[in-house]
Amino acid sequence: MADIITVGTLESSDCMVSLKPSKTLEIKIDTIVHEAFYHHIKTVVEKILNEAELKNIHLSLTDKGALDYTIKARLKTAIERFKEANNG
Amino acid sequence: MARSYLFIPGNVPRMLQNMDVYDADVIIIDLEDAIAIEEKDEARFLTCEFLRAHRPENLPILIRINSDEDSLMRADLMAIKGLDITGIVLPKTSLAQLERFTSMKPTNTTDLEIYGLIETPEAFFELDKIAKHPRIKGLMLGGEDLSTHTNIDKSLDEIAFHMPKSLLNFAAKAAQKEAIDTPVSSLDDAALIQGIKQTKTFGFDGKLAIHPNQVPLINTHLAPSKTAIHEARRIIIAHEKKGSMRFSLDGKMIDKPIIQRAQKLLDKAHRYGLLAGDAHAL
Repeated sequence: MADIITVGTLESSDCMVSLKPSKTLEIKIDTIVHEAFYHHIKTVVEKILNEAELKNIHLSLTDKGALDYTIKARLKTAIERFKEANNG
Repeated sequence: MARSYLFIPGNVPRMLQNMDVYDADVIIIDLEDAIAIEEKDEARFLTCEFLRAHRPENLPILIRINSDEDSLMRADLMAIKGLDITGIVLPKTSLAQLERFTSMKPTNTTDLEIYGLIETPEAFFELDKIAKHPRIKGLMLGGEDLSTHTNIDKSLDEIAFHMPKSLLNFAAKAAQKEAIDTPVSSLDDAALIQGIKQTKTFGFDGKLAIHPNQVPLINTHLAPSKTAIHEARRIIIAHEKKGSMRFSLDGKMIDKPIIQRAQKLLDKAHRYGLLAGDAHAL
């Protein structure tokens, strides 16, 4: 079983994504633009997790004003590393 | 042909998003030396997602891929497949490295320009063949690696780099390719201006930059000056009036090489938008 996978930074315009195994799908999003973009970020995250067919996972995302492409890139990297770690 | 080639790391969103405000003539997204080995995958994903979503229009973009010493080149090429980029910067360019790159499959990179980074002593013994390679668009001098490989301490005296600079520029010019000088590692303006002066003296077309703050000075100093444009313009006007390739202007003999140089300078000034509203200059 893999340890926590962490990708990205807490610098401006970036985000940090952590993944760890879980019995259910849990998504935790902490963003500096909660009011305006929380639901949008959650939609982006859910779409990528869905495409990757990941259901038993705990995802923590700390956003520092990242645009969609950055969220996608960080999450895709984390997913690839997570899959490698868990499937050999 | 361009003056400034700015490296930006492929793993920093803030810099990728601002690439078009740095005013560099060419952007080089770096997947190689600026990226730690454990962050290579992050940089690839970020660069690709950025270019798919936000590629700035009309900005030439190169990607410096990794060399194949550590099998990262293939992963880079797989990742950049299909991206809208101008070309790639090939590190540690040699004939063998070019062969490795051009034969590597699967890629659809056959239409991409290749800028060969010359940074090993071996490359200088096949420089003419590298420059004449049909896929090569230009040669770039990689001073830091070359310094490491040759034990030349260029921080003590730049004279030690005179020979590689001359050889690279001669090889590029003989093959009618671009010659791009090594970056100045200091962020001090005086050091940069001195470096740019040497770039001009050795005949390079452009210069690598490692920080956005270096771009304005490079662009200014590698563009033709107002005085030089004025002089070139007078030469071309006199040449057209006299209809001759050999004449006197202000007591100085003007002949074919001087006329050609004046025209090249005006072409360059035109390329950088310095002849606005002056159709006669061309």
